[in-house]
Amino acid sequence: MDYFIEPVKSDCEDILSRFQRTESVRYEEFATIWRKMDFPSIFYGKMPANETRAFCRLVLTTAYPFLLPPYNFQIRVGGLYLLYGLYNTQLAVPKEKISIALKDWENIMKFLQDALSSQHYDVCYIFRQLISDKAFYFAAMPKQLIFQVKRKPKRQVVCEEFRDRPARVKELITSDTLEEIMNVQEHYEKLKAAISATPGQPDPAISLINKDLGTSLQNTVTGYQKWLDGMAGKKNESGDAVADPGEGTSQQGESSRRAELLASIKSKSYGQLVEASKSRRHRQVEMDPLASEAERSHEPTRKRMPSLKARTKKNLLSKGNLKQEILEATKQWRLSVTEEDKSERPRQKARFKY
Amino acid sequence: MAASGASASASDDVPTYEYIDINTKPFHVGTFEKFWKESLNPKYYSFQDVDQETEDEEFAAEIGILPETVNELKVTCSKDTLRCHPENQPPDTDVVPADPGLITLRMKKRRQDYKETLIRDSTSRQDFYATELEGLGIGKRPADLQDMVPEGEIILNVNVLFPILHERFKYFRARQTLHVLGSHRLTDLRDAICCLSDLQVSGEFSQTPDIAPEFISKDLFKSAFFFLEGIFYNDMRYPECKDLSQTIREWGESHNFPTFQTAKMEDTRFRDLRIKVGYPYLYCHQGDCEHVVIITDIRLAHRDDCLDQKLYPLLTYKHRMVCRKCGVCNLYISRWITTNDSFAPTDPCLFCEICFRMLHYDTKGNKLGQFLAFPYVDAGAFN
Repeated sequence: MDYFIEPVKSDCEDILSRFQRTESVRYEEFATIWRKMDFPSIFYGKMPANETRAFCRLVLTTAYPFLLPPYNFQIRVGGLYLLYGLYNTQLAVPKEKISIALKDWENIMKFLQDALSSQHYDVCYIFRQLISDKAFYFAAMPKQLIFQVKRKPKRQVVCEEFRDRPARVKELITSDTLEEIMNVQEHYEKLKAAISATPGQPDPAISLINKDLGTSLQNTVTGYQKWLDGMAGKKNESGDAVADPGEGTSQQGESSRRAELLASIKSKSYGQLVEASKSRRHRQVEMDPLASEAERSHEPTRKRMPSLKARTKKNLLSKGNLKQEILEATKQWRLSVTEEDKSERPRQKARFKY
Repeated sequence: MAASGASASASDDVPTYEYIDINTKPFHVGTFEKFWKESLNPKYYSFQDVDQETEDEEFAAEIGILPETVNELKVTCSKDTLRCHPENQPPDTDVVPADPGLITLRMKKRRQDYKETLIRDSTSRQDFYATELEGLGIGKRPADLQDMVPEGEIILNVNVLFPILHERFKYFRARQTLHVLGSHRLTDLRDAICCLSDLQVSGEFSQTPDIAPEFISKDLFKSAFFFLEGIFYNDMRYPECKDLSQTIREWGESHNFPTFQTAKMEDTRFRDLRIKVGYPYLYCHQGDCEHVVIITDIRLAHRDDCLDQKLYPLLTYKHRMVCRKCGVCNLYISRWITTNDSFAPTDPCLFCEICFRMLHYDTKGNKLGQFLAFPYVDAGAFN
């Protein structure tokens, strides 16, 4: 079954990147893409029943990581819709469940809280549907572990376009830390004043620090953030304006009460650049998974020695001093054959390999 | 163990990867269960079906929106939106569409095209039996409500691998998969593992073939141990049980290994264990029959699981092996192997019970001719 992991993953990435291009988190948009791609057909094809189960499980476990960080909010919403779709269209009876790991639960709850506070009710509703359908296994790990140690461990590739833009600066300097810095600064000034020769006035010899450190820090941070936004906007020029990504059209129509800060963060993350996915856009042309696999494995694989038969053929027959008859003689496998049968010999069919 | 579980800090018991996709760090199973139950609404893992109407009302109340909005949501998010074909014309799900856009389907298509070139194509019997076995437990309810698996009980998936007996197992690891409950003791798992070496009978029985069943190894040598996370769990239920791990521990001591702890298998519940998921452990019985045991998954019981406590430990997968048939009738599985046999075409030769008796004994059960007979346990005895 493992040979299906890569193609399923790239199919999921495909649908999610299309969803990302809509710059919306609405379910209708997702469903439109879903129908257009005819995504449920991923389960089609004849398989024995136990293989069908295994395949459904594999598809679900492959789609599950899109629900989690490091992906950005919009992709995670798409991931949730994708799980909803896959769960409901799978062909296994009874349905295979989605395993949620304990370590991820808190994360998912936070994600739902975010969705709720920015009034994406469809996200909450769909999660609720999954819960009431009992679509989840509350498990230790998202997949079954059988101690599969690989000689060449596969690196977990996170699709870069889906990643949340790191807001490290923002995380580092929150309003709390800013306040703390201001306090320390104030305290420091007082202390300096206390030890100075002229009471009430700090000694000019030790005034080494900018007096309005707090405010200047804040200005720098906001400036940086603006610059970042500007960069993102510039890259996005080709596309439409990213001002209100779909939320305005939300049916709930209660956008006035929206938690403003969160929405602004979200809208930034929807507004993420998508032009990198151009290569993906034209991927519809025929692509042989095997060929791409050969490309993928850059490491030189160990060469196998050709078989004895092949070597003999190469050494003796290719020199051209042997006649065609001899070749034919080796091909004969019955003591007596009719003339017309001579050449054909039933060949073993090669086993199918993915 | 419970003691070591308590000493570790609480966050250690949330399972995380030690090596990604290979195994987790050790965690205490009971605490893990507690964490899930604390973080979940009991409705989420209850076995009762949820009524859609009340569910919608609750949803509306919980996040403070109007029922009309919920109705609207219901329409926009309904499962019909996922359907890609007209309502009355479901497509043939056995056939991959002619010109698939998805990469996965292109792979499936290649296989389908290959299958079409085959003259004869049928589902393998192995798959058929595996499906049947998998389906046995699904959705089973007990006749007596007393035997119901309690809500929020944990189920452990245990893979028991067979020791390498044959050349072909180098390429395929034959295994059994069992589901056990958190309240089970390790001895329950031990009793559920079926291994050929338990059935072996040693000795020559050509004079007295009737008493052979009395010498089955399982009844003679009852000792066994699990080795999990540095602790030997010995089976000490019977007075004749020995501590099989003693030799290993002594050897360990003389080679400057840290001293291993021991515990009793019958006193340990799965819930009390501190284990890694996906990590290979050891089960040893009959002195030297060593199985690798891997706990692949731990989860809360689900509505669709088998809920009859009596059926656990539940076997969900087992490898089926080729049987060797009787040398005379070629119909039944062989039970006896003879050597130096004047009646047999080969030496050694396999016989089923009936042929063996007919050929080697007269009607009164007296031995005819010269031969040595040994009971034979076929590899497919558990098929």
